[in-house]
Amino acid sequence: MVKFLRVNFRSQLSLIKKSGLFLFFTLPIFTSNVVAQSDTTKKLDEVRVSSSLIPQRQSATPIQSITSADFKRTSSYSLADAIKNFSGVSIKDYGGIGGLKTVSVRSLGANNTAVLYNGIQLNDAQNGQIDLSKFNLYNVEEVLLYNAQPAELLQTARAYASASVLAVKTIRPVYDSKKNSGMILGIKGGSFGLFNPYLQWKQSFSKHWGLVINSNVQQADGRYKYHESRDGSDTLAIRRNGDVHIQQADGGLYWVKSDSNKFNILFNFYNSKRGLPGPVVYYAAPTSQRLQNTDFFLQSGYLHRYKNSVSLLFNAKYAHSYVRYLDTGVYNTSGFIDEHYRQNDFYFSGAVSYDIVSNWKISYSSDADISNLKSDVYQYAFPTRTSLFNVLATDFNAGKWRLQANLLNTYIHDEVKSGVAADSRSAFTPAVIATFKPFIGQNLLFRAYYKRTFRNTTFAEQYYYAVVPRPLRPEYTNQYNLGAAYTKSFAGIIDFVNISADAYYNHVKDKISYIPTRSPETPSVVNLGKVDIKGIDVVLKTGFKTIDNWKGVLSVNYTYQQALDVTNRTDLYYLEQIPYTPKQTLALNAGFTRKQFGIYYNEIFSSSRYQNSNNVPEYYLPGYSVSDASLVYNFIAVSKPVMLSVEVNNLFNKSYAVINSYPMPGRSYRLTFQITI
Amino acid sequence: MKSIKLQNLLLACAVALSLTACHKDKKVVPEDKPTADLYVLNQGNLGLPNSTLTSYNYTTKLLTPDFFLLANGKGLGNTANDVKIYGAKMYIVVDKSGTVEVVNPKTAKSIKQVLFQNADKSSREPRSIAFYKGNAFITLYDNNVAVLDTATLTITKYIPVGRNPEQLAVSNDKLYVVNGGGLSYPDVDKTVSIINLSSLTVTKTLTVGLNPYAISVDSYGDVFVHSYNVYPGSPQLTIIDSKTDVVKSITEFAGGPFAVNGDIAYYITSDGTINTYDLKELKASSSNFITDGTTFTAAYAVVTNTLTGEVFVTDAKDYKSNGLIYAFDKNGKKEYSLVTGINPGSVVFVNR
Repeated sequence: MVKFLRVNFRSQLSLIKKSGLFLFFTLPIFTSNVVAQSDTTKKLDEVRVSSSLIPQRQSATPIQSITSADFKRTSSYSLADAIKNFSGVSIKDYGGIGGLKTVSVRSLGANNTAVLYNGIQLNDAQNGQIDLSKFNLYNVEEVLLYNAQPAELLQTARAYASASVLAVKTIRPVYDSKKNSGMILGIKGGSFGLFNPYLQWKQSFSKHWGLVINSNVQQADGRYKYHESRDGSDTLAIRRNGDVHIQQADGGLYWVKSDSNKFNILFNFYNSKRGLPGPVVYYAAPTSQRLQNTDFFLQSGYLHRYKNSVSLLFNAKYAHSYVRYLDTGVYNTSGFIDEHYRQNDFYFSGAVSYDIVSNWKISYSSDADISNLKSDVYQYAFPTRTSLFNVLATDFNAGKWRLQANLLNTYIHDEVKSGVAADSRSAFTPAVIATFKPFIGQNLLFRAYYKRTFRNTTFAEQYYYAVVPRPLRPEYTNQYNLGAAYTKSFAGIIDFVNISADAYYNHVKDKISYIPTRSPETPSVVNLGKVDIKGIDVVLKTGFKTIDNWKGVLSVNYTYQQALDVTNRTDLYYLEQIPYTPKQTLALNAGFTRKQFGIYYNEIFSSSRYQNSNNVPEYYLPGYSVSDASLVYNFIAVSKPVMLSVEVNNLFNKSYAVINSYPMPGRSYRLTFQITI
Repeated sequence: MKSIKLQNLLLACAVALSLTACHKDKKVVPEDKPTADLYVLNQGNLGLPNSTLTSYNYTTKLLTPDFFLLANGKGLGNTANDVKIYGAKMYIVVDKSGTVEVVNPKTAKSIKQVLFQNADKSSREPRSIAFYKGNAFITLYDNNVAVLDTATLTITKYIPVGRNPEQLAVSNDKLYVVNGGGLSYPDVDKTVSIINLSSLTVTKTLTVGLNPYAISVDSYGDVFVHSYNVYPGSPQLTIIDSKTDVVKSITEFAGGPFAVNGDIAYYITSDGTINTYDLKELKASSSNFITDGTTFTAAYAVVTNTLTGEVFVTDAKDYKSNGLIYAFDKNGKKEYSLVTGINPGSVVFVNR
């Protein structure tokens, strides 16, 4: 059983890797962000409601968003918290401040959601998953989740390549004639031994040039109590080895001639050392695994919209990431496992759009990406992957109708220094999006889309410990969506109501799946699995008029998902719900503000799940309902704006786990003091 | 105004609460205390604390997914690797939890949890167990064999052996321990330590195939050691003569550990079928033992019941969901199959 154990280590490592351990950032620069701010007449199909709250957008494909003003409403600390309320979203949370948090949208898995940071995808060739816990919110202006893809034509080709897109937009410099610089200083502290000072500096040098610099340090011992009953102790245990030591800095230099002509160059640096608590071990101490990440990227973008109906967008990026994984509790000859990974990523994207007539646009985007990974793990392949994305897209508006379509070609070519490279791949995947607004002047919209996506293997799936070459096929998803969105303003107490409902059907074929086999001769990553997913997303948001300085908001998001394994009729779990997929989730957010005070309450309910493909009692995970609350007070001290807040997560101290054997923390607190100077 | 907002809020809370309340917590509680005839020890998911002990009663046909949990109100822990019955006690060896659970074989009620841990509570990773004259011998991945007095259930000695010892077996009043060294792959071990059972010291170390992991003995004094080898090398079978403690042969062998019953050993071939090996002639048969066409997705362990002549084969399926165990009669015809837990690696029979 040596192999079993060895695989065991490997799988832990793989988890780690999945945990973003290996992550390699790339970041952003300038794309849809810029686009969204453009002053051109094509002001998208978004109907912004006059409210600061997560407005419900009436869009061609479902969009959910949250802005910086609302992070406190949901007691959010990391990017994972910010989107926890979104409909159709499930956050795989391994618990704790440094615990892996990835997002799965509509049960398609984390690898099928692209994370765009200021418009450019964070590329992780090794794992293909982004650990959202690595993203602090202090520099984030807005987070949007697009099912299928953003509607804007002028964007990178990669933005078309995933089943859904999570777009993070960072804070921009302000070009205020009265004030040309500003600084925010803040500090957060609280449970888990958290100490998190942060700084933001905005500076404008002229009418056109502006700068934003952010930096923060996070220190936490990561310890928390959890309730463990299955080892017979029935007492509170302490989760250890979850400490984090993070230094992060990012910034951007922006040149804005006009909204039609702009340039930026951004950098991002992230350095962390953290413990990996791993799954709970009964009766013994877990082994001490450590992870170090050093990520850096530099990226630049340029947008120009010419008056002759041609628009151009260029982006370029270089990203480097270093990961060290250390496990000191191993009974091998050295007594430890010490693995190092270095990943480089070079990316270039060009896009052009052309308005043939005022209501008909076409565009072409082309991206090239070269990634390589070096590692000292046994018999590593040293792969270099060239990925080319080319997409033709069109957007046609005909009164009540709007039609969008695109065809993406993905070409992937691997080369390796040792072993066998994966076969080159080329695939065409289309998307068709239609919207219909039956009544002019009324905000009622019907929408439908079909999108097919192609996901190639990650380096980990293809090469990690692939002693024998793995003949893997790409994973394909097909999405069908039908929905409606309605917005209405009222004259009475209720200011507005936004409601949207979408029903969808997804089919995943050749799902790439890790299987922990016992010998290296047997492939441990296979194309195993077909999944049929049917679901309904409902998003409701209301705002109330301000009366006596009181103002209230209420939003409710509901998700129903049936995600059935349809791989093989002979499987014991044929037609059973896939693991960690609750049938129903409900997120509720309510709050009141009065003058400088805000008080907010958030609740997420998840129905029961199974931690395994087998939907049998042994693997039953009960549903849970977790509440957060926050109190915000804004005031002026020595003529400077000051913000104080108290946030409480898991208000009622519920004992629960999202992922089995990775217990979630009980009630925790966070205090924030922030001053703007 | 205020009341309206509160009403909305309360309504929404009520919806949330009612949804919470309607989930079904399905728990199976057997009516009376069953007695097991057959146990399957499931290793569980990699690294997770979900090793289980499936039990089956031949008469009542009652299948209990985790008899240990039911009997003791707690789980086995992380990566249970071996189970054996000796005398009136059953021993369950749990690797990552660093425990040997000593239980009543009929009820699975705990008698004692013996810890194999370092001072910092990290596991010494007990792997496999064997018995001789009142002592239990347990391999520990930290390169030792622990000696446990089965009467007092106290550890009396640690015997240093090779790297990452795996299975162990007694033949001709000597203990044979395979040293796998798998954690240093590809720099693996390739030895068998021979322990004198009177002095409890290693008296001889033999070189066998690379990365050995399993051992079995027959009534002729031959000791069979299975090795994984290092890829692209092929798996090997080493035969040791326990009378002389000399390696008789090391040959390529595309099959797994032996389940011995008299002159026949059953094993899983590299093709995932079940074949037999003639222990008298030291020769593998070329025919499939299974005669009724039953096939396995991932044959994981083979065990024979020496009293009935039945052969049991476990199937780990995708190695992360529930497996199956198949019972075959001695002619290779399927009698029945049962659902097990995840990675069903060991099987024991209770004689009552």
